[in-house]
Amino acid sequence: MEKYAVIGKRVPRIDGKEKVLGQAKYAADYALPGMLWCKVARSPLPHARILNIDTSRAEALPGVKAVITAKDFGGWTWGFMATTRDEPPLATGKVRYLYEAVAAVAAIDEDIAEEASDLIKVDYEELPGVFDPEEAIKEGAPVIHAYRPNNVSVEYHWNFGAVEKAFARSHIVREDRFETGKVVTGFLEPPASLAYYDPSGSITVWPAKQSPYFHYRHLAACFNLPLNRVRVIQPFIGGGFGGTKNDSVAGDFCVVMLSKKTGKPVKYIYAMDEVLTTCRRRHNMVLYNKMGMTKDGILTAVETRVIANGGAYTAIGPLTMYLAGSGNTLPFKLPNFKYDAWRAFTNNPVSAAMRGHGFTHTRFACDTQMGMMAEELGIDPVEIRMRNAIENPKPGEEYRTVNGIGIKTCGLKEAMETAAEDTLWADRDKGPKRAGPVSYGVGISGTSYQGGARQLGHQSCGAIVRICEDGTVNLLTGATDCGQGSDTVLSMIAAEELGVRYEDVSVKRVDTAYTPVDPGSYGSRVTLLAGQATQLAARDAKNQLLEAGARAWKVKPEDIEIRNGSVTMKTSPDKRVSFEKLAKIACYEGSGAVVLGRGHSAYGLEAIDFNAGTGNGGTSYSFTAQTVRLGVDMETGKVDVTDFFIAHDAGVPLHPVSVESQNQGGAVQGLSQTIYEQFIMEKGRTHNMTLLDYKMPRSTDVPDIKVTDIITDDPDGPFGAKEASEGSIVSTPPAVVNALRDATGVWFKELPVTPEKIVKALKEKGKWLK
Amino acid sequence: MTTFYRRLPRFEFVQPKSLAEVLTLLAEHRETAKVYAGGTDLVPLMRRREIPAPDYVIDLKCLRELEGMTYDERTGLRIGPLTTIRTMAESVVVLEHFPALAQAASSMASPQVRSRGTFAGNICNAVPSADSAPALLVFDATILLKGAKGERRVPLDRFFIGPRETVIGPDEVLLEIAVPAPAPESRSTYLKLSPRHSMDLAIVGVAARGALEDGVCKEIRIALGAAAPTPIRAVAAEEILQGKRITAELIEEAATNAITQCSPIDDHRASAEYRCDMVYAMTRRALYRVFLSEEDMV
Amino acid sequence: MKPLSITVNGKDYELQVKASATLLEILREDLGLTGTKEGCSVGECGACTVLMDGQAVNACLILAAEAGDKEVTTIEGLADNQQLNPIQEAFVEIGGLQCGFCTPAMILSAKALLDKTPNPTDEEIRKGLEGNFCRCTGYTKIIESVKAAAHKMRG
Repeated sequence: MEKYAVIGKRVPRIDGKEKVLGQAKYAADYALPGMLWCKVARSPLPHARILNIDTSRAEALPGVKAVITAKDFGGWTWGFMATTRDEPPLATGKVRYLYEAVAAVAAIDEDIAEEASDLIKVDYEELPGVFDPEEAIKEGAPVIHAYRPNNVSVEYHWNFGAVEKAFARSHIVREDRFETGKVVTGFLEPPASLAYYDPSGSITVWPAKQSPYFHYRHLAACFNLPLNRVRVIQPFIGGGFGGTKNDSVAGDFCVVMLSKKTGKPVKYIYAMDEVLTTCRRRHNMVLYNKMGMTKDGILTAVETRVIANGGAYTAIGPLTMYLAGSGNTLPFKLPNFKYDAWRAFTNNPVSAAMRGHGFTHTRFACDTQMGMMAEELGIDPVEIRMRNAIENPKPGEEYRTVNGIGIKTCGLKEAMETAAEDTLWADRDKGPKRAGPVSYGVGISGTSYQGGARQLGHQSCGAIVRICEDGTVNLLTGATDCGQGSDTVLSMIAAEELGVRYEDVSVKRVDTAYTPVDPGSYGSRVTLLAGQATQLAARDAKNQLLEAGARAWKVKPEDIEIRNGSVTMKTSPDKRVSFEKLAKIACYEGSGAVVLGRGHSAYGLEAIDFNAGTGNGGTSYSFTAQTVRLGVDMETGKVDVTDFFIAHDAGVPLHPVSVESQNQGGAVQGLSQTIYEQFIMEKGRTHNMTLLDYKMPRSTDVPDIKVTDIITDDPDGPFGAKEASEGSIVSTPPAVVNALRDATGVWFKELPVTPEKIVKALKEKGKWLK
Repeated sequence: MTTFYRRLPRFEFVQPKSLAEVLTLLAEHRETAKVYAGGTDLVPLMRRREIPAPDYVIDLKCLRELEGMTYDERTGLRIGPLTTIRTMAESVVVLEHFPALAQAASSMASPQVRSRGTFAGNICNAVPSADSAPALLVFDATILLKGAKGERRVPLDRFFIGPRETVIGPDEVLLEIAVPAPAPESRSTYLKLSPRHSMDLAIVGVAARGALEDGVCKEIRIALGAAAPTPIRAVAAEEILQGKRITAELIEEAATNAITQCSPIDDHRASAEYRCDMVYAMTRRALYRVFLSEEDMV
Repeated sequence: MKPLSITVNGKDYELQVKASATLLEILREDLGLTGTKEGCSVGECGACTVLMDGQAVNACLILAAEAGDKEVTTIEGLADNQQLNPIQEAFVEIGGLQCGFCTPAMILSAKALLDKTPNPTDEEIRKGLEGNFCRCTGYTKIIESVKAAAHKMRG
């Protein structure tokens, strides 16, 4: 018999049918009788004092029911940490980035709301702006926030081991400047929310959030209501990828305030160009990376100096800069490490989290630099990574990095071997190197990403499993499926733990009135933390069932086995009873019991010290080896990526279809941020604010992608799982850059590597049209 | 205040049943009226408020006489203004006799946009990177316009004035794109350069059409898109090839010369330097395709 | 406001529409058919794809007023009383979806493709779907789903 009845099976997504029928409702699909439409009015300047706002003409337009500005929010601000609550729902006193929200209108239809928005008149005193992070932290730059006169939003200085001594005794030391690009999450569903402020003092919202929890806390604080009177009902979410939908945006606060003022439900939906110019994006960073190695290619030390573009507010910046630093000590053994990092305020839209948070920047720089040094030393790229890779700890043992990250399973070596043996890498010299103007290249990378992120104040996570009288199961969890498939996986976990069939478990979206708290989808935490909560809740319910069965059948609870909806007894193996029968026994025992199982994530917390750089933010870490084959047209610079091979250590793939899909999607997103996507900005203005010109891949741009699972069976994940959502967005950029080196002879250090950049580099080397 | 719009501005929508009615409306309302065929350029322009909101949007699609495309092997192709881009991409006649037109059509936007957008609309919108333009230019296409003062025929190489500006008067409507039949031995191609494999505007678009007789160039046309304020013919480059024996060196010379006829812009999509370099590279490629074969390229 | 008689998913409707209303708006707001999504509003993402007289088109670019004599099919018109059509089935079985926002449009574009090209190559599938943006899946399982659907439909 197979180990598991449900786990590891290729079951269809639990919400697949709803989605293909077009019945799944997203935030914009909701409407209520008497609903008003909200439009957010935005600043035409990137940095200016607000002198006066005249809303009279907007208010006078027939059909307009209310107009709000900053004064309606009474100076309330929010932020990631108590010391960084610097962001208001509507610009207060000054605007700090182009198109920052300044006012909002509620009207009987969206056309009138848009017209009214144009009628709001604001007098500004334009201020000089600063747009480059390295410029912003120089003496004399315009001050963006009074509380940070030097425009330094976050600053860390970490020092582990003895970096200078290590460089001194190294055989080679390289210093390089790397740059990551201005990129954004790129979800297809624009942020939207329908809000109703009940005059008795409660809020109900249907917002597009992948972390309903943060929004619920923000609303309670903003509107001064207790948590139990804030109800966030989550619709289906049209993509998250971190950042925006883990936070609140101007529209979210405005619809609640407008509902409060008008007594009517109010809805907003952002336009796509609004999303591309005002929503959270990934930090773009400059990394000055210094790496030392012995003659045999063993890492001696890494020193990284990072300047990140924070944009106009702090948001989750402190965590971003922590993750960027902490990712340096994975996946290779590193005894000496120094990190100096600055996050600068600039008059740009806010930079926040995005898939691969922090690690994408440092793994890109370090893995690429390792590739450069391997070349200099004459060491094979697979070999050098194998020599430095963290060893897979034996069961019961743990590897700790110098900064306190704990690794209990590490499949990097196996992943590298698997990738190296695959034909894409193994046969890379067999095919033609050139076909007409196209030069082919193959590259490889070895990377890691954090899973099961836990943060102080946001680590609680609970689940309830309810057994209905007919043996079917309701799973109540605060965990959010934003499309990654967590509802499916959690249902599988509940089914496996209980012994019922996958089809017998039902799960609905988060409703904070009923579902227990969970911080949401970020940091690859849901399968691990909400999964454990679900498993424990299922176990609790199961124990109650077993005890009821034991009493009814006069056996011991441990004599009863449940699998695939069937109940058997070890003492009389031929006696078989349905799960429904056992459920009835338990539910109708005595005065009629209700079987509710509860569980919460028991991983606890290992304190992270942002300033010292110590701590262990994840419960486990995934490891990925990836190969990429691509062709570069050496005349035009155009890149055709033909193949990806991804070997990903996710502990155990609980739902193989989702693991593959996440790896494929993450890799394509990573590819895009390496060669296609970038915001072209000038003085805070975005030139390419359309999907035509902010270039994300279409079906004709993607390679053939093979994904293979590396099994390490992690002791800390439910059923051995580790994260499978973000590893491939970290592994792809260095693998692509390595492949570009192989194809063109050029090491590209600034992302994205566009065709124009390729031609420019080839010209500089005298290799264009040769 | 800056507002990001999801709705269209207010206008009146009219669906005239005759061409005379269309012309009367245009004569009366002029710049405040916009004609509407596929809407794939007009609707986004209105939505983004990139053009002043028209008072009238005039639907041309009730006019049977504007539909259809006819081919005659002597007189060539007559493309009605309602002919969709998709029709141009899939028509057997176009694929066989005017391949560059089909290549240009299938390189544009998406299947959804191609099913609605028209070739006529693409040239009337007149962005410098319009894919239909270089392809039509190498076939010596002419445009038939009709307005209050009657009909007039304009050669396509005199149709474009500047970015988004053509010779069409505010009272005029495009009735037909006429594409003369090319010499049967001529070969044509349209090459579009863009970073992705779909959806992009051309960074540079090169169309070429040529005919050889015993290795000598009997006929040559080269047209460039996104290389100047309007789509242009690279006439001086053509003159280098016309009547000469085609060799690699001559192609090299013509491609190099093509750069001198460009005046592309520096914008967020590409720098002028890159566009010029690509005019050279893509012209060279197009000429090989038309006269020799790509395998012969060095 | 002007009257409009429109046929959607085989049913006839009498509506009053503004001149500036798009087909997308009246489907979602007047008829409550929210399966068709709005992504970019300018025809660049394909999330609003519907079938009009059998062709896949962007509903956000079509003025409602002209759709009177057309047959419009939205995602809601594909399944036969909750019995999934083969393309929908394939997407569920293979897992050609994650967040599902692009899915209704993707399925309709696939239908338009398969109705015309019942045995498409990989390249034809990619080209047929180039107007439909997806950020979640990387398209791999979408292409697999369309291949599987083609196989199912050929019987």
